[in-house]
Amino acid sequence: MIRLKNVSKTYPGNIVGLQNVNLHIRPGEFVSVVGQSGTGKTTLVKLLISEERPTSGQIVIGGWDISSVRSSEVPLLRRQIGVVFQDFKLLPKKTVYENVAFALEVAGVRSSRIRAIVPQALKIVGLTDKADRFPRQVSGGEQQRVVIARSLVHRPKIIVADEPTGNLDSINTWEIIDLLRRINGFGTTVMLVTHNREVVNSLQRRVITIDRGLVVSDVEEGKYVL
Amino acid sequence: MKLSFPMRIVRFGVQDFFRNFWLSAATVSVLTLTVISINALVLMNVLGKIAVTVVESKIDASVHFRQDVDESRVKTVRVALLSLPEVKEVEYVPPEEALQRFRNANGEGSELVESLEEIEGNPFGATLVIRAHDTSGYAAVMHTLNQPLFAGLIEEKDFSDYDAMVSRLNAITGKLEVFLLAVTCAFGAIALMIVMNAVRVSVYTHREEISIMRLVGASNWFIRGPFYVEAFIWTLLSVGMTVLILFPSLAFAQPFLQRFFGSGSVDLVSFYAVNLLPLVGLQAAGVAFMTLVTTKLATARYLRV
Ligand SMILES: Nc1ncnc2c1ncn2[C@@H]1O[C@H](COP(=O)(O)OP(=O)(O)O)[C@@H](O)[C@H]1O
Ligand SMILES: [Mg+2]
Repeated sequence: MIRLKNVSKTYPGNIVGLQNVNLHIRPGEFVSVVGQSGTGKTTLVKLLISEERPTSGQIVIGGWDISSVRSSEVPLLRRQIGVVFQDFKLLPKKTVYENVAFALEVAGVRSSRIRAIVPQALKIVGLTDKADRFPRQVSGGEQQRVVIARSLVHRPKIIVADEPTGNLDSINTWEIIDLLRRINGFGTTVMLVTHNREVVNSLQRRVITIDRGLVVSDVEEGKYVL
Repeated sequence: MKLSFPMRIVRFGVQDFFRNFWLSAATVSVLTLTVISINALVLMNVLGKIAVTVVESKIDASVHFRQDVDESRVKTVRVALLSLPEVKEVEYVPPEEALQRFRNANGEGSELVESLEEIEGNPFGATLVIRAHDTSGYAAVMHTLNQPLFAGLIEEKDFSDYDAMVSRLNAITGKLEVFLLAVTCAFGAIALMIVMNAVRVSVYTHREEISIMRLVGASNWFIRGPFYVEAFIWTLLSVGMTVLILFPSLAFAQPFLQRFFGSGSVDLVSFYAVNLLPLVGLQAAGVAFMTLVTTKLATARYLRV
């Protein structure tokens, strides 16, 4: 599903993002990516959604080499990968429903399809009864669930969540993790970038540890070791 | 509410327009000024041409013959003049009518006319009134009349320097046109900058939306589309405003212009009414081209799509 071959990313000013990373993530996997702050985790996420291009190496997603993808093709890539960031990135003047529908509207999906898909997505994240509220009228955990619902509407094969629980308390954190696990249960490949030791340890899934741009360990049913 | 894809882009564009309402208003105003000055240029051109034809149609030359020259001699001169290709028409005015015309021109009972009464009989000879096809033609007329065969018959020739008058008129309209062209260019340049800036502000107000659009895989043209729609709204409004401003102003100016040029000579309102579609269409196309190209440049620069 996701394959990185000797991928390096150097930012202007010789700042190392990632160094010579080799990874293979199979369809349907649930992978946690851990590592200290500033070690290149977000860089990895940005490379996957082509917000940054690798300085060298090759990135292949679902058989598609995106290492030097044309900018006109990036939207297609983004519809195949759902992204969830720590800062919620919702539009404050749109309701929960409208925020989720927005992702479909701007991709040119027909209105009738939008009316069919959005309630399904809201149902998966358990926000059907809060569809008409504005982001500031729901909790942080609920806001993050809206973002997840939005990332689901294109039925992506991959969901990448970059510290989705970074701003949440533990109850909300577990709700989000449960949700991601459920989505993984549908067959969606999930990559979870996190700092949270308990989360990683309880998941008992594959753990990739990054340190200073290098993959230092990659263990099936791993633990948080740092 | 069932919206197809392009309708959605139009809706977004309209929303953008109202969200930055004052900026939109300023943009439309400057564009309107630009379009109005373009129209002033067009009008100047039309008026200049009218003025020249009006002046040219009023030009004539009079040749007063001596009293003792009889009608047949005068008519010979008339035929000679008519044979010149430059001459359009030659009117024969008999002495009685010349007197009458003099009276009419100076007013019955005026000093000049009264002094005329004191003289016995008619002091006027016959007169030929000559009209050439254009002002340069009078040189040939002059040349013919100066031949010794005719020169002795003539009491007085009344040639004004019409050529100089027309070229002065042309010079004035020419200068006005250059001035208006400069004004149009200035407004055009300001309009370009305003449009550029309006797009930048619009991008700035939508930066959150745009970053989310990118994140969720919006098509590039969906991100750019609303800006083009907005530019199109600016264009339509500015051309519409121009028409709304222009017609009443023309109707207002019409009586003054007609008094100046003579009634029936100028009808700018109907000139516009007749040429409305090509004029407005051409201007709308021009403004649309300008705003759309500017929007393309601005979005390429500020949007990095
Ligand atoms: N756009 C950028 N320009 C320059 N340096 C960057 C940029 N983004 C990240 N970096 C640097 O790259 C390194 C890795 O950053 P990041 O991938 O965000 O780490 P993490 O997500 O693990 O905290 C850091 O040293 C960071 O300062
Ligand atoms: Mg990070």
